[in-house]
Amino acid sequence: MTKEPNLKEIEKKAYMSYHQDGLLDIFAGLYILGFGLGSYADIIWESGFGMIMPAILIAVVLPIWIAAKRRITMPRIGFVNFGIRGASKITAFFIGLMVVGLGVFSVFTLATFQSGLRQWLDLIFQNGMLIVGFGSLAVCLLFGYTMGLKRLYAYGLISVIALVIGHFMGIFFAYILLALGIMVMVTGFALLIGFVRKYPLQGVKAIAD
Amino acid sequence: MAQLYVVQSADFLFLQRQTQMTPGNLSAHLRKLEDAGYVEITKEFIERKPHTALALTKKGRNAFKQYRRDIQQIAERLPE
Repeated sequence: MTKEPNLKEIEKKAYMSYHQDGLLDIFAGLYILGFGLGSYADIIWESGFGMIMPAILIAVVLPIWIAAKRRITMPRIGFVNFGIRGASKITAFFIGLMVVGLGVFSVFTLATFQSGLRQWLDLIFQNGMLIVGFGSLAVCLLFGYTMGLKRLYAYGLISVIALVIGHFMGIFFAYILLALGIMVMVTGFALLIGFVRKYPLQGVKAIAD
Repeated sequence: MAQLYVVQSADFLFLQRQTQMTPGNLSAHLRKLEDAGYVEITKEFIERKPHTALALTKKGRNAFKQYRRDIQQIAERLPE
């Protein structure tokens, strides 16, 4: 019997297959790791390096991510243009990542280097890790839902748990960022290995080639 | 057609991965759709490599929409 095609399912499957390569996780992890290293460098050398780190990371990570997508993903599952909708999802993810990153570091850098803060800002900075933790959770839930990537929910939960524990136990923010960055990257590499195994390179040529 | 309906364009490999069809079988389907004017095949170069993009034409999109409507109507007429 002819069955009506479930277009949402087909679209979701097509979209998901493109983001199960783990590259998004690897580069997001790299971004968080860079953040952590930047903030660590700030504390060790008082360099102010953490201030410019988000911009440097975006400038470096984004082109590499695009190149990796072209060299690893496309030869394995082919090329697809999702149109405006798909592109806007990816753009939203990176803009979100950038905004969160800049926000986190602005707050962190201000908290680290400015001693004459107003009282209400003091309150925010004293609870900075809690704010960042719950902010990360909200962002991960939002992007996880928008992009249909359930693992982002897990990242959000782990982030909030780690940052809340870090807040109450007095663990340095940079250490948590480093740990989270490594966790996301390791997940990404595991996904990448699975993806490469599932979709080996094959000599299929496009029709009419 | 459903696979191409949800994207702007895709290449042969992507369609093959999504549909799990053999290359020969998929080629035959696409040729029929191209002959009917439902699928447009565009050859282009991406990073100096030849690449063939497949997309539904306006006629193909309209035909697919009509097909969905027809299927829905048939389903509604079926007894419980």
